[in-house]
Formats: sequence, C-alpha cells, structure tokens
Amino acid sequence: MSRGAAQPLLDADFLARLEQLEIISRKIHAARNKGERQSKRKGESAEFADYRNYVPGDDIRHVDWNIYARLDRLFLKLFLEEEELNVSILLDVSGSMDNGEPSKARYAKRVAAAVAYIGLCNYDRVNLYAYADSVVSTRSGLRSRRVLPQLLSFLEEAPVGGGSRFAAAARQFALRHTQKGVCLVVSDLLDKSGFLEGLPYLIGRQMDVYVLQVLSPQEMEPDLAGDLKLVDCEDGDVAEVTISKMLLDRYKSNLQAYCESIRDYCNRRGINYLLTSTTHPFEALVLTYLRARGLVR
Amino acid sequence: MTLLSWKTGLFFAGIVIPLLLLLYFLKLRRQERKVSSTYLWKKAVQDLQVNAPFQKLRRNLLLLLQLLLLASVLMGLSEPVANFMRRPEKNIVILLDRSASMKTVERDGRTRLEHAQEAAAQFVQALPDNSNTMVIGFGATPSVVSTFTDDKRRLERLIRDLEPTDEPGRIGEALPLAIAYSSNLIDIPGVEGSTVPEGATQGIADIELFSDGRIGDTDQQFITRGQLRYFRVGAESDNVGITAFDVRRDFERPGSLAVFVRVENFGPVPVKTDLSILLDGRRLPGAGSIREVQLGAAAPPTTTGPADAGLPSAQNVIFEFQHEAGGVIEVRLHREDAFAVDNVVWAPVDPPRELRVLAVCDRAPIQRVLRKAMVESFDVREYQTMGREEYEKAADDKLILGGRSAYDLVVLDDHDTNRLPPGNYLFFGGVPKIDDVSIGDEVAGDPIIFARQDHPLMRHVAYEGVFIARWRALQLPKHAVSLLEGPDTVAMAMLTDPGHRYVIASFDLLDSNFTLKEAFPMFLQNALGYLASGGLLEARRMMRPGDTFTMNVPADAKKVKIERPDGSIDEEPVRAGGLLSYARTREAGVYRVQFDDPARTKEVFAANLLDPIESSIAPNESFTVGTEAVESVLAETKINRPLWPYAVMAGLCILLIEWWIYNKRVMI
Repeated sequence: MSRGAAQPLLDADFLARLEQLEIISRKIHAARNKGERQSKRKGESAEFADYRNYVPGDDIRHVDWNIYARLDRLFLKLFLEEEELNVSILLDVSGSMDNGEPSKARYAKRVAAAVAYIGLCNYDRVNLYAYADSVVSTRSGLRSRRVLPQLLSFLEEAPVGGGSRFAAAARQFALRHTQKGVCLVVSDLLDKSGFLEGLPYLIGRQMDVYVLQVLSPQEMEPDLAGDLKLVDCEDGDVAEVTISKMLLDRYKSNLQAYCESIRDYCNRRGINYLLTSTTHPFEALVLTYLRARGLVR
Repeated sequence: MTLLSWKTGLFFAGIVIPLLLLLYFLKLRRQERKVSSTYLWKKAVQDLQVNAPFQKLRRNLLLLLQLLLLASVLMGLSEPVANFMRRPEKNIVILLDRSASMKTVERDGRTRLEHAQEAAAQFVQALPDNSNTMVIGFGATPSVVSTFTDDKRRLERLIRDLEPTDEPGRIGEALPLAIAYSSNLIDIPGVEGSTVPEGATQGIADIELFSDGRIGDTDQQFITRGQLRYFRVGAESDNVGITAFDVRRDFERPGSLAVFVRVENFGPVPVKTDLSILLDGRRLPGAGSIREVQLGAAAPPTTTGPADAGLPSAQNVIFEFQHEAGGVIEVRLHREDAFAVDNVVWAPVDPPRELRVLAVCDRAPIQRVLRKAMVESFDVREYQTMGREEYEKAADDKLILGGRSAYDLVVLDDHDTNRLPPGNYLFFGGVPKIDDVSIGDEVAGDPIIFARQDHPLMRHVAYEGVFIARWRALQLPKHAVSLLEGPDTVAMAMLTDPGHRYVIASFDLLDSNFTLKEAFPMFLQNALGYLASGGLLEARRMMRPGDTFTMNVPADAKKVKIERPDGSIDEEPVRAGGLLSYARTREAGVYRVQFDDPARTKEVFAANLLDPIESSIAPNESFTVGTEAVESVLAETKINRPLWPYAVMAGLCILLIEWWIYNKRVMI
C-alpha cells in the first residue's frame, strides 16, 4: 500500500465542507426507490405538477375535490415524484495506480471517498466498484452517512495490483448495474487494451459519465536519464531506451496526444473529462474543479 | 583426424575469443526502472525511429544485420580471391639457377640471383611444417646445397648463402640429379621405421625451378617423375655483349695477331658503343685500338626478319696488330648495362714459338708429303726425320728433354713402338705398344661413314672425299675417342693417358687417298694446333667458366700457385704423371698458373662466357622440357583462392542471426 496510508482518506474538516455539497445529474433518472431527487415520473411528493381528467380506475384519493365542487367534473391532481440518485464510482486499482509519488491509488481513493460521501449526505445510492483487469471488489447500495465507516474501510482495503482492462470491468459493471445515474471513473487511463473501448458500455446505460484521469508527476514530467530498461509494473513488459531530450519531448507530446484523444472522445459523447496530477491539492480538486465541471454543487 | 591448420585455428581463437568477451563486457548494461506503462514509451521510441532515420541506423540491430547480409552477398558476387601461396606436396626439390645471366642487375639494384633467393626463401617459408625440401644450385654443373630436410631456417640460410657464378646455365645434369633424389623417396611397402627416411613415405617430390629461364639445354631433358614448375625472376633485357672471341697468329707472319670479336645487342633499342682492346692492361698504341660499334635493336622473338633493316643487332670487329711477345689480350665494351659479365673477354697469347716436329718414317713418299706439309705449308722451323730403327736406337737425350719428349709432336709412319716419353704422338698405320691398345683384323673396302667433326682434330676436315682401301680394326680402351669410323670398326681414334696424347690412324697412308686430299693438310694443321699446343693457335688456353683446364707440369716442379681473377691464390700440389687439372673456374677472367720449377714457368688461362643464350638476358616466359612446354609463373605471383563460398556462408549466418533476433525481439 502507499506510504500515505496512515493519513485518513477524509479528515473531519473536509467532511464538514463536503456535507454542503450535493451531486448533481444533468439527467433526471428513474430510480426504483423514492429519494430526494425529482423524477420524471409523476408521483406522490408534495410538489404539484399538473391536472388531468379522471378515467375509471384512477385512484380516487388523488381526485381534486375542490375542482369537482366548483366545476362538477372529476380532475385528478398530479404531483411530482421524488427519486433517489444512483452514484457509481469505478475506481482503478490496477498495478499502475500504485506507481508514482504521490500515490495515484491513494489520490484516487480520496476522490472516490469524497464523492461517495457527498452522495451519502444527499441520500443518494452510492455504488463502489474497484477494478483492475476486471471488477475485483464491489460495495453497492450504500445510503445515508451512517455507512461512512463501511465506505472508508472498503476503499482502504481495496487491493492495488494486477493488470488494467477497463473495457472488461465496464462490461461487468454494465451487466450488473442496470439503473441509470451518475458514473465517475477514476483512473490513470494507462490501459494497453484500450481505455476508450469501455466507455460505450457506460454510455449505453444512459449514465451521466465523468472521467477523472489521475497521473503522477513522474508520468507527466519523467525524471529519467541514461540507458534504461523500463519495466511495465503491470505486465512486466520491457522497453530498452536511451533517454534523450528528443525522446522525452516525444514522450510528453505522446502523453498529451493520448489525453487529448480521450478528451476529444469524451466531448463528442457528452462525457465529462478531467485530468489531474497527484500533486494537485485533492481538496481543491473536489471543492473547485468538480464543482466547476458540474459534478457537485 | 588430423588438424592440418591447427595453428591457424589457434590464431583465430586467440583473436575471436577475447573479442567475444570484450563484446560481452561492452554490451550495454541498462538500469532497470519501473514505470506505470511502457505503452507511451514504446510509442515514443517508435515515433522517434520513424521520424529520425539516423537514429534508426544507430540503434537498429536488424538493419545492421541486413546491411551486413547485403554486404556479404555483394562481396560474394564480386568474386573475392585471396592470394595464398600454394601449399605444394610435402617433398620439394628447389633448383636454383646461379648461371651467369642471374648476375643481371635489376632496376632495384639487386641481382636476379638475389631475387630468386628471396623468392625461394619465401617459398620455403610458406611450406607446411613437415615438408621435406632439397636445394640444388646449378650453373653449368649442379651442386647439392642441401639434402632433404624440414629445417626451414637452415634451408633459408643455405639458399641465401648461395653464390653466383659466371657459368652458362645448363640444367642437363641438375635435372636428372633432382629427379634421382626425389625418386629415391618412394615408399617401400612393408618397410617400417629404421631404414626408410621420414620423407620417404610422402611420395615423389615436385621440382621447383627458380630461374630467368635462360638455360641452354632444356629441350634435351625429360622429366620422368614428379612435376616441374618454373618460377620466373627478372625483367631486365638491356644488354650488349661479346658473344664470340678468338685470337690468331697469322700463318705467314707469326708476329701478326688478329683478334676477332662479335658484339651483339640483346636490348630493345639500338645502341652505339665503343669497343677497346688492351694488351696486358695497357691500350695499344695507334688509333685502331678503339672501335665504335652501332647495333640495331634485337629482333623480337615473334618476328622472323631483322628488327631494323638498316642496322643489324650483331657486328663483327677484327683488330689486327703486330706483337711478337706474349701477354693477355683484353677486349672491353664501354657501355654500362644490366649484365656485366659479357662486357669483357680475355685471351692469353704466347710468343711465337718454334715448333719441333719429329717424323719417324722410312718411306720416301710419306717423308716427302710430311715435309712438304710441315715445312713448306706450316712453316715448322725444326722438322726432323728419323728412320724407324734410328728412332728406336736414338739416345735418350735426343728424344727426351726435361722428362718429356724433346719434340712437340712425333709422327710415326707404319711403326709400332713402346718408346714413348711423355708427349704427343701421331700414328699412321701403327699403334703405341701400351696396355689396352691392340690391332685386330684387317678391314677392306668399307667406306668411312662417320667422323667426329666437333673434335678439334677433325674440324673442317672434309672426310667425305677420303677413301681408305684397308685398315685394321682398333681395339681401344673405353676412354678413347673415335675420330673416323667405318660401318663396324674404328679407323682413327685419340687416346689420352697421363702425360701422353696419342692419335692413332690404323691405316697406311699409302693405302688411302688421304694425302692427296685437302683434308690432309687441314688434319695436320689441327694436329699441330691441338696436339703440339703450338704457337699458332691459342684456343686451348681459352675456356668457358666452369670448364676444367689441364696442362703439363714442368719437370722439377713441386707446387703450383694459381692466381684467380679476384686476386686470390690457390695452391695445388703437383700429382704424379705430369698433368695439372684445375676446375675452380666458376668466375670469368684470367687464371695465372705459376710453377716453382727453376724456369719459373708461367701459364695463363682465360675463362670467357661467350654464350648468346646467357647474354640474351630477357627472362624466358616458357621453355620446353622434352616435348612438354613449361610455362612460367612470376616468382611473386601467388595462387588465387576463391573466397565467395565464405561470403555466402557469412551471409547465411547473418540471416540466421537476424531471424533469431527478429523472433526474440529483445530489442525495439
């Protein structure tokens, strides 16, 4: 585990600040359970929505008797339905997340914890999926802030290691999780099998998808020199390189192009994409950037 | 299994193995670093390789291998050859020509012999270690420099120590010697160890001839065993030389000397040079002692006519002058050329001497004929006639002077005798009563069918017109030389014993028309010149380098000193029999012989090359031995060995390595 394990994922001050936030969805989703979210469906909340003519079989409890008295006609009074929001977090715990300083895995877990806590505070249904080359552990259906310790322990205990195959994990997630909602993917996106191939599974479920790419400073600005044998920490693949300025420049421009390609893909499919470095203050990310991106309010 | 080239293998192992280890140490030891993903790195490297071709050249092993493969294929296509000295069979006989023409100085200032010695030494060096080599040096005669040995260092030293001679090149004795030595090495099956030398198991030797090909008698030779290879040395062809030389006293006026010289140009350009004559090292008084000769270029061997119609390449020069005394005549060419041996010739001349001739004859017609020839024709001043009985009864002091015959020549007509003090005898119709000589049956009516015309006695004797009615068959020892022969028997012969020379004609002069023919005075003249060592002819004192000269030793002489052309002095003891033979005449020049007798007799001999074959110094491209043409190889030329199979093999190896690396993909 990373060296930052001693530090709690979320401290008390920060929790207090998170309580003021809520996760917003750009889409009105239908959920099975009633929640605090406005639904498209007409339901039984206190908020008036519309009237419609009575047809036999309607629940006479919803007849507006005042109107009947005045007009002698039966009208049904409709109210807005309030539903809960599904917040799913796909957390990358593959081997590559353990690489770099500060640790990407730790950073990702903290982001996941913060977003999940915001969801819990707002009575959203929070689902956590840790994945590597497939979904390795799940904790779904978390609701209310009472389950915060469970949430944190799940995140703390999620094992980091193994290869990275987002497409397989997304497919598994999509099969298990049929409900709509907000889906946040936290990963370094360094997936040789092709990260973008997994996103259509999420889009297909009509989810409001957010992609947060977490990179370490070593990945963004490599501090390498000399003749090196670079070993992939996930699959042990070897690249023998002689570091030169040309090579470094080429690497950086490749990284940038890779990130841009993902950003472009996401933009065209209405996915929110955000790139961050582990050196970037985590609190600022949640309180400022996620808010600016409209994930939280 | 035998490793023929284990030294080579060891040599390459010594180079390759440290090189391999060095490469192992030089191999890049990369530091290992863990990264999140090699995905972007590999992509970056690939991009860099694609965009920067020189980076790719520097880094891509596969490309390098492909280039090497291509290079090896191209190399194979261009048919590379390595110049290796041929590895001959294990037994070698090296024939090293050290005849006069090998003294030719080449452009680099070294003589041909030195070039040949170097080539032969290199040849020996290049031989396999266990090969046996024999070295024979030859001029007119061969000498074994080294018998078969595998000691290369010794062979090399002996080859380099070989000294040149002025002898004409004759391979006639050297080749059979080489063949004999090499043939003796044939293995005897079933015999092991003790008696058979080590080389014997290796079969017949090859003969390697290092020469300029100027050898006079190759066409008369045969190679019965083994193989002859001719390594040609030398390139120079510029030479003007004296190829014929003779000195004569006039018959009529013995005080007058005629010197005949033939000068020949063997070079490719016309030349003009001076020819001078010296007597005892001093120029003769008068303008005639220096002559200018103009010679055309030598005719190339391919054309039949003269090269320059206006100017022949050879010219005869005759010097005539009065000289009553003796001395040494020297004729010198004043031109520096590559070959100096033929630029000067010497001839010793004696003062005109009174010949003393004794005729032992009872018959008047013969007496008349002899007197007429001797006294009137040849001007023999002291001519005496004795009857046969008178000769037998004559006092010793009349016939013997100083232990030898008092006469230069004794002619005996129809008389057998044993009164023969050391001297020269000419028998007509009689024989000397000595061992091994006898007379057989009478032969009548047979024609004369053979005369040895190359013998000095028979030179210019026209025997065809001579008829001999009857003669008696001669029984002679083996060393006798027959001069006239019938179908089955010998009519005239010459016999040389220590101190004596006999010419025996077994026919009566009156039974033939010999005395009526012009052949008779010619024969008598030859007999006077050859037998009586007369003052008229000097030919006996001139010889070829390498010849042996013999002379009569004066009485009372115990020792003889011979001053050689280089000034050194040989001392020889006088053997019994009154004859001196001297054979160390390899150098051209004047040999002065002095005896320690009371009269302090001094005799001079001269060795002159006078050989157009040697003087024509342009190296011979090929020559014929027997019926087989022997082509030359330049001594420096080595045998080409094709290397393309190696290039193809290298290419295949590189292809395999490339395939392996491609599959292994150890490198990006």
